Amino acid sequence: MAFGDYPAEYNPKVHGPYDPARYYGKADVPLGQVKVGEIGAWLSRRNKSPQAIAGAFSRAWWRWQHKYVQPKRSGVAPFFQVTVAAMTFFYAINYGKMRHHRNYKYH
Amino acid sequence: MLSRTALLSVQRPLGVLAMRSASAAGSGDQVARRERPEHPGKVRLGFIPEEWFQFFYNKTGVTGPYTFGVGLLTYLCSKEIYVMEHEYYSGLSLAIMAIVAVKKLGPTIAAWTDKEIDKIENEWKSGREEELQNLSDAIEAEKKEQWRAEGALLLMDAKKENIALQLEAAFRERAMNVYTEVKRRLDYQVECRHIERRINQKHMVNWIVNNVLGSITPQQEKETLDKCIADLSALALRTK
Repeated sequence: MAFGDYPAEYNPKVHGPYDPARYYGKADVPLGQVKVGEIGAWLSRRNKSPQAIAGAFSRAWWRWQHKYVQPKRSGVAPFFQVTVAAMTFFYAINYGKMRHHRNYKYH
Repeated sequence: MLSRTALLSVQRPLGVLAMRSASAAGSGDQVARRERPEHPGKVRLGFIPEEWFQFFYNKTGVTGPYTFGVGLLTYLCSKEIYVMEHEYYSGLSLAIMAIVAVKKLGPTIAAWTDKEIDKIENEWKSGREEELQNLSDAIEAEKKEQWRAEGALLLMDAKKENIALQLEAAFRERAMNVYTEVKRRLDYQVECRHIERRINQKHMVNWIVNNVLGSITPQQEKETLDKCIADLSALALRTK
């Protein structure tokens, strides 16, 4: 499967038009309903190949897009959300440097 | 060689068309095309999704998420996991300016962009609606033309009736003519017979009278006259 192809499980005759936010594989228990003891089994059922991880990121991006950016009358929320997400991400990867800018020695 | 490639390139699009039409015919069952929502998901404080607040609501009520946020921030700041160094203060001033700008200019910009969106949507819609209107008008005009054509058939029937009436009138007129002519001729014949009889009668009477008058000899006349005088004198004697 090359870059830009549809997922292997997508069938236009069955699923209709392609929805990038939808998972076309075998239906599994949603993460919000998995019991704590079953998390290991649930994780083992997941597909952990690079394509699947990229697919997961892509679906998450499209779910966010569909909900906050693509509606007809979207507001300023996606700009703030992108700003806050970028702030936290860059703070996290620069944390090693930020540690040394602490003002107090003892907390 | 070029003609063969031309043939192949012509064949392939037809195959694609057939597949696309088949898939379009079959795909309508499962899931319809995703609809574009009118408004985005609800957010609080400008960027936090409402669902995160709902997630806390059952266990901690309305103030739960705010308490959680304040507690988290306090922990991060006090343990200096979130260091408030010089960049933090410039970020803070930028955040305040952004919030003021959004609060002040937000509603006006929102109203203006809403109008633009409505304009674009109406442009697209109006083209389609106009086309539908034109087509339905054409259908109405077509129906009217059909009705007119039916009217033409009625006109034909009326003309036929008209001609039939005229023929009837002419026939009656001629029948009348025939009657009067025949009556005239018959009357003439009747008159002829009358005249003939009258003339015969008159001629016969004249002839008889003339013969009788001619057959009266002078001897007979004298005798008749004497007799009449004798009768008269007898009468005179009687009445005296």
